[in-house]
Amino acid sequence: MDETRAVYVRGLRKNYGGRTAVDGVDLDVEAGQIVGLIGSNGAGKTTTVECVQGLRRPDSGMLRIFGLDPHGQYERVRALIGSQLQDSALPDRLRVAEAVSLFGGGDGDGLLETFGLAARRRSAFASLSGGERQRLFLVLALLNRPRLVILDELTQGLDPMARRTVWAAVDRLRQDGIAVLLVTHELDDAQALCDRIVVMNAGRVVDSGSPAELVERHGRRATIGFTVPVGSGWSCGRLAGLPGVDDVELAGDRVTVRGDRGAIAHVGAALVDGGWVPSDLSVQVPTLEDALLSLLQDTDPGAARAARESESESDDLVGALR
Amino acid sequence: MTSATSTAAKSAARTTHGAAGATARLVRTELTLIRRDPLTLTFVFVFPVVTMLIIGGSFGTTPTPGFDNVDPSHWYVASYLTVIIAATGLITVPVHLASYRERGVLRRFAAAGFPRWSFALAELVVGLFPIAVGSAILLAVAAPVYGVPHLHQPGRVLAAFALGSVAFIAIGVLLGSLLPSARAAQATGLILFFPSFLIGSGGPPPNVMGSAIRAVSGYLPLTRVTDAVRDPWLGIGSATTSLIVVALLAAFAAVAAIRRTAL
Repeated sequence: MDETRAVYVRGLRKNYGGRTAVDGVDLDVEAGQIVGLIGSNGAGKTTTVECVQGLRRPDSGMLRIFGLDPHGQYERVRALIGSQLQDSALPDRLRVAEAVSLFGGGDGDGLLETFGLAARRRSAFASLSGGERQRLFLVLALLNRPRLVILDELTQGLDPMARRTVWAAVDRLRQDGIAVLLVTHELDDAQALCDRIVVMNAGRVVDSGSPAELVERHGRRATIGFTVPVGSGWSCGRLAGLPGVDDVELAGDRVTVRGDRGAIAHVGAALVDGGWVPSDLSVQVPTLEDALLSLLQDTDPGAARAARESESESDDLVGALR
Repeated sequence: MTSATSTAAKSAARTTHGAAGATARLVRTELTLIRRDPLTLTFVFVFPVVTMLIIGGSFGTTPTPGFDNVDPSHWYVASYLTVIIAATGLITVPVHLASYRERGVLRRFAAAGFPRWSFALAELVVGLFPIAVGSAILLAVAAPVYGVPHLHQPGRVLAAFALGSVAFIAIGVLLGSLLPSARAAQATGLILFFPSFLIGSGGPPPNVMGSAIRAVSGYLPLTRVTDAVRDPWLGIGSATTSLIVVALLAAFAAVAAIRRTAL
């Protein structure tokens, strides 16, 4: 068994009273890598990480954390893991320094300094902002100098500024060579932080890869838009036959071309060749959201229906994922 | 408690390294937090003292049959220690525990590898500490005003006081582990506390109650604890039956409570 691999999971299965929560999941996390586990509620993400942490016993499958069995060698595994749990707070009146002392002390002062909480040592948990709370949870997760950190819905409910502060803190873990397993349905988090993303749906892994690979595989379509001069005799037919172009639409003087990413270059070249360089040329390439939406539509009819019924594209995916 | 928590606990139970240290840290933190809890301050430290001062002075100091032929003010001083026990067990502990469950604090303790029984032990200490402090305050205030009555059977009084405390703390833990939220625990706790207080300890003596109320009072756990503390204290009797009932209640409630709070 490879003892340098932080997480090694093969064929993980877990049922709750006849309902399959996790159905044959494989998962790998290397040291110094941030791996995102993404999927809708009920996709099996939290059950998977609970099994990884030894908090739940899987029905079947192989789990190794740095070569150790999280159940048979719970104590040794526990010492290697720091975790931030979803929906888990601290008592309101517990002060920051008291929380650090309660959860093991360690290099608490240094960590509070690193995560910008040194000035809040005497503050009660209730008085902390959302971002400060999440940074405190990170500090608590790091107290035992873990080699694997598991973060479940770390930025839920944070404003954009606080979210970026937490991102910077998580990125620092990667620089320190710590393996991070990030459970989220916030795609911004995944896109900003993850080296690899594992997409789960209905207890199974439906795909995995870097954010760029997932976009490449599942978000192939690009949209190109520009305005043509009125009365110029512009013909959509000139673009329709270009490689990669799926369809061309002319509405008034506005042209919209849809196709794969290769179509961008061909349309640009055709415009220049035709002597027309539009000043309002816009290109929309697919985002991770688009890619995952498309992936979920392919794998989950319910999610696809929800997405189609919703108007806003960014809300679509969030809706589909939740 | 979720199955995740209990499974986590089974795993955490295997953790032995630093278990004593982790338990000590948890107990210390819990004691710090309970001192900051306004409900503890109000219902355990202030309410029993204020009501004892008022009602203890309402019936004079002449022994009457209604008060089992003892000084009524002494009758109330001896009774009011169990008001503190009831306030702790029915209000403070359930609200404290339910708020932890509501906020996922117990899950965090389990995931952080705290020993399996550490939280149950912490809750016992969290209950005993305010009872001890509240009782000391009550007796210190009563001493110059009504005097602290002579202890006729100190062993029995201490046993009843200790067993009654464990019983009510355990009942509090059970309430806190069953009720869905801190608000529900507070509402339920107050609904249970005030009738118990009025007909089981700090209200009129059973001898002057109507038969129906007296019958109800006889079934209240707090009445049993109060009898088991007050009767041997003031020399009214030994209250052996009540002491046995309180001991059984403490044993059953404690076992159930410990099982419910395994991390």
